[in-house]
Amino acid sequence: MIERVLFGRQPGLAQLRREAFVRGARAVAPALLATGVWGLVTGVAMVKTGLTEWQALGMTLTVFAGTAQMAALPLIAADAPVWVVLITATVVNLRFVIFSATLWPYLRHLPLARRLALGYVTADIAAAVFVARYAEAPEDERGSTEQVWFLLGVTSAIWLAWQVLSIAGIFIAGGIPGAWGLDFAAILALLGLTLPMINSRPALAGAAVAAVIAVAAANFPLKLGLVAAVIAGTAVAMVTEVAFDRVRGTG
Amino acid sequence: MSALEIWSTILGLTLVTLVTRNVFLVLGELLPMPERLQHGLRYAPACALAALLAPELLVQQGALAPTLANHKFVAGLAAIATMLATRSIVATMAVGMAAFTAARYFLV
Repeated sequence: MIERVLFGRQPGLAQLRREAFVRGARAVAPALLATGVWGLVTGVAMVKTGLTEWQALGMTLTVFAGTAQMAALPLIAADAPVWVVLITATVVNLRFVIFSATLWPYLRHLPLARRLALGYVTADIAAAVFVARYAEAPEDERGSTEQVWFLLGVTSAIWLAWQVLSIAGIFIAGGIPGAWGLDFAAILALLGLTLPMINSRPALAGAAVAAVIAVAAANFPLKLGLVAAVIAGTAVAMVTEVAFDRVRGTG
Repeated sequence: MSALEIWSTILGLTLVTLVTRNVFLVLGELLPMPERLQHGLRYAPACALAALLAPELLVQQGALAPTLANHKFVAGLAAIATMLATRSIVATMAVGMAAFTAARYFLV
């Protein structure tokens, strides 16, 4: 019954969708612990900032953007104007605009509502796992049922891990002393996720440049340094790739 | 912030998520991209994560601090070494947290 609702009534298509969905969920499994810890820390931080449990639940269930939430919380605590919080979050989220361009060739054939839904739930880790899997796929396969349902499997697993641990964090926040350094555990989790993604010379060059610029611009207002870092890093990665293609004579 | 302001902020942040993650998914037809650019954008997630992480490990109280007194930097190095050696996020977090705790007790 549930299977039919999820994957449709045509047996062959349903099986294709289910298998792709499960492959996606499995591909993201190694990242779920990190996602969960990051969610837990965000849940705790929302309550420690002074949000009520209902407000924190509302935030985690609708906003679903850990970095933007973490950037917003100190501003909320400092009683900043709402528009300042929203501009800061927008700047922190600008990297998603780039991700949406990455996903476009794979999702362009879907109806608008489905594009919006898939875009809304696809954040850093999901985009990274999807790209790692399908960036080299042949152009004429882009947007296949398999790819779309793989992405759905990835995002579903992440959404569930994030929400369960974030909600747990909201309700246990009072019992967690700051001395545990839980927020640093979240940084370590992200670190563990990031390193395997730096698996080629262009990726290494891009990540190094992004890191240097992010550090140099750490004190810029509104987290603008993050945006500059992502744009410069990605550009350097692309240039490096072209340079190495030339060296190998394939460019 | 008042409760009304907080709920307005939450609603606004939800729209920010929805809009930023969908810019090209809605407007892609109007904003054609060269193949080379589309291809190159696959490096964006790694760059974004590196840019999020680097200041956490290298900046302390607003200043560049790749020093022993910066416990997150010390623990970050231990975590990076562990991840490169074991490819295990669990081991990376365990060693990183152990190093962070040890640094706080034994380093200045």
